[in-house]
Amino acid sequence: MNRDIAKSRQRRRIAAGVLTMTAFLAVFVTPFIFILFQAVKDRRAANRLEFSWPESWHFWENLVAVIEARNYIVLLAFFNSTIITVASVTLLVIFAAMVGYVLSRRRTRFNGIVMALVLAGLMIPPAVVPTIWVLQGLGLFKTIHGFVLIQVAYGLSFSILLFRAFIATIPRELDEAAIIDGAKPLQVFFKVVLPLLKPVVVTNIVVQSVTIFNDFVNALYYMPGRENVTVQLTLFNFQSQFSSQYNLLFMNILLITIPPLLVFIFFNRQIVAGMTAGAIKG
Amino acid sequence: MSGLSLHGVTKSFGAVDVIKGVDLVVEKGEFCVFVGPSGCGKSTLLRMIAGLEDITTGEIVIGGRDVTWADPSERGIAMVFQSYALYPHMTVRENIGFGLSLAKMPKDQITVKVAAAAELLQLTPLLDRKPKALSGGQRQRVAIGRTIVRDPEVFLLDEPLSNLDASLRAQMRMELTELHARIGATMVYVTHDQVEAMTMADKIVVLNAGRIEQVGRPMDLYREPATPFVAGFIGSPRMNLYANIKGVDTYGIRPEHLTLSLDAGEWGGKVRIVERLGADAFAHIDVNDLGTMVARIDGEADIQAGQQVWATPIPERVHLFQNGVRI
Repeated sequence: MNRDIAKSRQRRRIAAGVLTMTAFLAVFVTPFIFILFQAVKDRRAANRLEFSWPESWHFWENLVAVIEARNYIVLLAFFNSTIITVASVTLLVIFAAMVGYVLSRRRTRFNGIVMALVLAGLMIPPAVVPTIWVLQGLGLFKTIHGFVLIQVAYGLSFSILLFRAFIATIPRELDEAAIIDGAKPLQVFFKVVLPLLKPVVVTNIVVQSVTIFNDFVNALYYMPGRENVTVQLTLFNFQSQFSSQYNLLFMNILLITIPPLLVFIFFNRQIVAGMTAGAIKG
Repeated sequence: MSGLSLHGVTKSFGAVDVIKGVDLVVEKGEFCVFVGPSGCGKSTLLRMIAGLEDITTGEIVIGGRDVTWADPSERGIAMVFQSYALYPHMTVRENIGFGLSLAKMPKDQITVKVAAAAELLQLTPLLDRKPKALSGGQRQRVAIGRTIVRDPEVFLLDEPLSNLDASLRAQMRMELTELHARIGATMVYVTHDQVEAMTMADKIVVLNAGRIEQVGRPMDLYREPATPFVAGFIGSPRMNLYANIKGVDTYGIRPEHLTLSLDAGEWGGKVRIVERLGADAFAHIDVNDLGTMVARIDGEADIQAGQQVWATPIPERVHLFQNGVRI
């Protein structure tokens, strides 16, 4: 009797699992399969935009066509995007860790103001036209370093919050022990605190680099001009008012989706660790 | 020459006075224990000596040098924290040597000093482990090792044994006392545990609400507490204290200085409960008009809850206080 109940309960659990997996497969994997199929079709088949098995396979052909398009613009785009991502994420991690450290350790009456600014950075959407105006004034519009600064500014709030919450879990006595050992403030930060921030640094690197690498809108606003192209902007190469080459467009999508996907697959576990590490004590 | 002296030291957080004027001299080589209830300011006072808290007024002199405004690392102190505060990402060796490497001491000298400290504390086999691979007692010893290599004038210890279990605590208490005897350093030790204070100290400083209540040798404090507070704080179980009897403000008698009788005595009452510890037992007696009185009796004594008993104090062991002062 009891065994029957246990058995039916187990069966129900398996059924629920299978159902959930199917749902997730449908929602997340189907679009990816669609991209794969489209990317290997020839132009006529692809333009029908059907979810069907490719009649003929043109993987290599399409890949070469995408890379050669507009004088190898995809390669330039990868180069630009890599520089932007690496530079922005480096600055983000260093600045956010420092701000988070000071915010969580030094209690002054400015803390409230700074926190309000950080939250404002998270909640208030940035205004594009004034930003362009400021960039032009500084001579940074349409430059890669200007765009790096934009990405740092946009991402800083989120990173600061992550770091602040994590640093609050590191006992203050560690800082004090280091001070008594004779460490100067910068040495306390770099020799004692920063090495302990590894989980949250990894989280920051992954989340921010994927966000920045995938950023389409800001690149569109702030980086006009052929030489400033980023990977997301290359999607425009194969789409225009009168002609579309969906096979190449999807091959392009495939190409630029792979790097973030790899990052996610490899760092999946660390992302969650870093996100939740600061969750208990705020 | 004094190891450490405090002159008129005060500390205020805004309008709240946490330390209300402390004068204290700790002789060189002395083991001095700050003891007091939670929130009496003993840890704050220690942190002020360490330089982790600014002082509001007064001055601190360590080894004959005024260090009131010196950086913590320049005061000639080293500190053991309650949570040990070992650097989790460094090995035991690096933990102990961290201060020396910050001071830009040559590598070979650091190695020698770390090895000597490890030898003294029996940490040599553990030098390459990280703190998380150590037991509580071993972490404690690493924290002490980190202070020893600095050759400080004064060791500061902030409730170092409170995270250990009871048997380990007793063992570390002995080890610390032995260590103190061997290196002969000046130590200031903060605890709320009066057993630690009594057993380890050369000098006990009883603090209450930011003030020193009494300074003295452990047995002096036990025999002649200067105030009712000290009387109630030193000794376990605590002294029986009664207000406004026998013509004094406060009348005190320790449980171990009462004799019980079944027939006659000074105070009669009913035994509420008997706590038997083995060698000793504590009888809690409800005395009419006075309230609870605790008496220490022999562990085998034939006294049961509900019995009528009579308690009599040993006259020369009675403590009388008038206006908060011993008379």
